[in-house]
Amino acid sequence: MTLLRRAGYWEGTFEAMASPCSVLAEVASAAEARRLLDLARVEALRIEAKFSRYRQDNILHRINSSGGQPIEVDDETAQLLDYAAHCHTLSQGRFDITSGILRRVWRFDGSDRVPSADAVAALLPWIGWDKVTWRRPHITLPAGMEIDLGGIGKEYAVDRCALLLAAETRASLLINFGGDLFSTGARADGHSWRVGLDDPSATGSASAGEIEIRRGAVATSGDARRYLLKDGIRYVHILDPHTGWPVPGAPHSVTVVAGSCLEAGMLATFAMLMGHDAEKFLLDQHVTHHVIR
Amino acid sequence: MLARPLFILLTLLTLSACTLAPVQPWDRDLLAEEKMQLIPDPVENFIDEHIYFSKEGASGGQGVGGGGCGCN
Amino acid sequence: MQLNDKASIRRALAAATCTLLGSASQTSHAEGSDEKWRVDTSVLYYSEQDRVTVVEPVVFLRKTTGEDSFVNFRLIYDTMSGASANGATPTNKPQTFTSASGTSTYTTPAGKTPLHDFSDQRVAVAVEWDKPVDHLSRAIYGINASTENDYRSIGLSATRLRDFNDKLTTLTLGIAGSYDSVMPIGGAPIPMQLMSAAVPSPAGGEGDEGEGGKTKLVADAIVGITQVLTRRALTQFNYSIGYSSGYLTDPYKVVSVIDATGATLDYRFESRPDIRLRQSLYWKTAYHFDHDVMHFAYRYYWDDWGIHAHTADLHYRMELWKGAYLQPHLRYSTQTAANFYTYSLLNTSPVPTYASADYRLGDLTTTTYGLKLGIPVGRTSELNLRVESITQSGNGYPADAIGIQKNYDLFPTINTTVVQITYTGRF
Repeated sequence: MTLLRRAGYWEGTFEAMASPCSVLAEVASAAEARRLLDLARVEALRIEAKFSRYRQDNILHRINSSGGQPIEVDDETAQLLDYAAHCHTLSQGRFDITSGILRRVWRFDGSDRVPSADAVAALLPWIGWDKVTWRRPHITLPAGMEIDLGGIGKEYAVDRCALLLAAETRASLLINFGGDLFSTGARADGHSWRVGLDDPSATGSASAGEIEIRRGAVATSGDARRYLLKDGIRYVHILDPHTGWPVPGAPHSVTVVAGSCLEAGMLATFAMLMGHDAEKFLLDQHVTHHVIR
Repeated sequence: MLARPLFILLTLLTLSACTLAPVQPWDRDLLAEEKMQLIPDPVENFIDEHIYFSKEGASGGQGVGGGGCGCN
Repeated sequence: MQLNDKASIRRALAAATCTLLGSASQTSHAEGSDEKWRVDTSVLYYSEQDRVTVVEPVVFLRKTTGEDSFVNFRLIYDTMSGASANGATPTNKPQTFTSASGTSTYTTPAGKTPLHDFSDQRVAVAVEWDKPVDHLSRAIYGINASTENDYRSIGLSATRLRDFNDKLTTLTLGIAGSYDSVMPIGGAPIPMQLMSAAVPSPAGGEGDEGEGGKTKLVADAIVGITQVLTRRALTQFNYSIGYSSGYLTDPYKVVSVIDATGATLDYRFESRPDIRLRQSLYWKTAYHFDHDVMHFAYRYYWDDWGIHAHTADLHYRMELWKGAYLQPHLRYSTQTAANFYTYSLLNTSPVPTYASADYRLGDLTTTTYGLKLGIPVGRTSELNLRVESITQSGNGYPADAIGIQKNYDLFPTINTTVVQITYTGRF
């Protein structure tokens, strides 16, 4: 965890959810900046611990190893499941938190190892939110199915931290968890925060542009370093849960600006899931966006 | 006679709820402060309600169940 | 995604996000807060000029018993002493009054507003359970009881609150009931009976003869909407209705019986109807100015006794330094008299079924000016002091005053000073 003084604000960073996380706060004292940073870090780690699929001691593991038995969940998990169910409906089934098991056959490591049709088809019977019984507060997952909240976890963490920190200070804040970010307001001098956009095809070097953000969120859905390339065809890591295969014509990345990180992230994900129609979808939603193909 | 202004007021309130842009969760910072509660100081409110209940002909309006006394 | 209105996906998503984050912000509160207890200890000093003085220590306790669940406890001890107007008008001779049983008497010098002395202690307790029912509703159940020399009360209440519209709108429904019993000192008088007809009873026991113990049942209901308007403004609108039935008369108050010259001949014990239907419309708004906060409320009240009242109340909290504040308070209330309110009764007129000269049922204007100072103590506690000046006035020289009545102020202005000091501790 680090805390650095910049021109007019404090920049605190830590590592969580496999991403570099930073909290930029326009406060006067280091003590105040550290306090805010701590709050954000604790909350981010709490959410990570609670919903990470890599742990054996959380509610997610209990659900995924329930063997077909109903599991009672707490309020927060229930709210997230309600949200995921809602997104499933809104996207006509394209957004599906049970599709995580496809990672067993799809390894997006930039190589050309595309799975066979049979390997993919074998997993399809265990994919589909419609097969899950969700009657709040009990969730029943048929044996063999798993849920993965990775698609909303980071954005949720950003929004939660924003809520918590905004209750502690009136100062302008920018919370950035690996490219998913939220700003609570314009800076004291009236200017916006400026954030660079990552170019997925040249990560780390050239930037694809800059976004100015006053109050709101920016989220990016992209395939940076997560794709397969075989016979000149790029397979992005956005998979269609109905077929088990990548969505055809998906752009390299979609960046959306919206009122909350969850909303921005979900709109970006929906756009990616639309494949060829990503731009049209975003235009229809009247939302500020940036698509890279 | 009273029904008319009451109806207008309720309609305005409902309309205001629909037409005003909904307040986003991160915009509820000020509302969450204790001094923004509709009854920010329960002790003061209770004492004042009791004083005016015993000194005037009118009473109530904010809630129910304060308890009776021989003062009125 | 084919939907009739393409942009509705965004709206639906925004709404779903709002719900998720809106309720998330509720749960964070209980997780983060360490303070389980809130204790308010307060002493009230209330003094009407030349009349009643009350000293009232109060304790409010609030314990957080679970995520968003609370228990509230209230203990009040009242000591009241002094004198209050008995409804008779001043006249040019000394006046003597007796209780209903004829056992006790008191006198008033000529030219003075008749007052009766009293001294009383009251203890009141209340407990409330406040908890969530599901992720959108809460319920508050309460029980209260009080006892004083001549009055006892026990009551129950239940309130239900439900959120809509991503917790921006809350609907409130509440009901309450209480059972009160009155044991007037000196007995309950026969309504409208002449005081000269009150006879000392052979047994001499208090509250036993005539109609001794009296009871009263009160039922109240409220329906309200609370709405978040903007980031800074919250408003509430309530409709209340209440029904009281039983002994609603004040056993210590009388109405002067005068003749054509305005001289007082006798007194009749007052009489009020034994049912009362009360209704009110109440509107309150809280507005946040970034530092200062303003609360404004207006109530319109009416009942079947003929009383209509308008009340406006304003508090403006000015933030001083961190946690300290100064809060001026203004309240203005006017009411029209009950239809059986009268200054006095003419001996030649027929005796009405109901009559009362209690100034609190008359055409009355109450004006309050107050100031409160709050100082933070440590990180979570506060000490505050408030001072209020209440003035109640009415028409002391009505046009229909008769004869020598015109020489006297029949509705003296009452000035009251309130001082209250409170310590609020959270730990």
